Amino acid sequence: MPKLVPDLLKALTLLAAAILCAGLANGLAGPERKLGWGAWSPAPMAAAPVAVPAEAPAAGPAPAAPPEWPAAPVRPLAKQPSKPAIKPPTPAAPPASPAPLDAAARFPPAPASVIRELDSDSAWTAFQLKVPFLDARRSADFEEGHVAGAWSLPVWEAGLEARLIGFEAKANPQPKAPLVVYCSGGDCEDSHLLARKLVELGYRNLLIYRDGFPDWSAKGRPVARGARP
Amino acid sequence: MSRPGLLLHPWLTVRAQIALGAVFVLAALPKLADPPGFAEALWNYQLAPAWLIHPAALALPWLELLCGLALCLGLWVRAAAAWLSALLLVFILALGINLARNHPVDCGCFQVQARTRSTGERVADMRWAILRDLGLLALAAQVLAAGARRRD
Repeated sequence: MPKLVPDLLKALTLLAAAILCAGLANGLAGPERKLGWGAWSPAPMAAAPVAVPAEAPAAGPAPAAPPEWPAAPVRPLAKQPSKPAIKPPTPAAPPASPAPLDAAARFPPAPASVIRELDSDSAWTAFQLKVPFLDARRSADFEEGHVAGAWSLPVWEAGLEARLIGFEAKANPQPKAPLVVYCSGGDCEDSHLLARKLVELGYRNLLIYRDGFPDWSAKGRPVARGARP
Repeated sequence: MSRPGLLLHPWLTVRAQIALGAVFVLAALPKLADPPGFAEALWNYQLAPAWLIHPAALALPWLELLCGLALCLGLWVRAAAAWLSALLLVFILALGINLARNHPVDCGCFQVQARTRSTGERVADMRWAILRDLGLLALAAQVLAAGARRRD
């Protein structure tokens, strides 16, 4: 018993040393391994945005323009040509509306559900309509293979903010233009987390490709490797 | 020698201490290598408040490593064993709550990469993890009890 106090001090010293080491290691870590101490951390899922009429936080009917960047005319992606009026192959049971000509018309924003899920065929349609694809998985997974032309926005890495700025600068997405978000399907939550992050930033038309990259590659659709140039 | 005397024999304590320390050093390394992965694993438990996830993901692996090393080296044994007991209790509780509410998670104990596995596999692994943690807790209790006994 009399030794309890020194033991307690030693225990506190161990904790302090652990926090100190963690701070040092985190300070030295590269962006793929770094974590912000108090950075954005997704709140626990209240009601997971499932199926078509999903609810999402901060979903206002107001045409909220994000403060960080001015509303700009729809511009093509850095690598991709302007949206061509390809006729979509009319997929089975699209969660959004049926089949018009371009991305904005094919995937119109739904104020009541800013985050919706997308089935495999609709994801293919969106790809053909040049909707930007956002990859929420870890950057190492992205480099091993991703949807061709996708943007790497690893939701758990500290480099996310910088990548988001890069994506916005190059792709210049409109708040209401559709964005496809994916991760590795199944019970992967990363795409939902990224979608909610984007809602916080003011985006209002997020389509979660439910089956994610495993489905994409299994169907032999265009895949790219390595970091995005 | 009485039965408690055997159970608390220094020969056993040294081995329990080194085994426990080694397990925690091994468990800490993959988490130290990938803090974002560990943060995701912690988040998946859906127990800790959001503000705690990142600090815990950064500091917890170091605490495991330092306490594990302390036990292996025989330094500050009681303080380190007390920490590891506390951590083990938290792990058992976290796994138990998620098992009870039927929310299968990847343990994140020795591996932090997200894996696609079936619910059944996850549940089986969680049961094993709880058993393993109980075993480790017994080692920690032995170290603590033997230390207390020597001191009296």
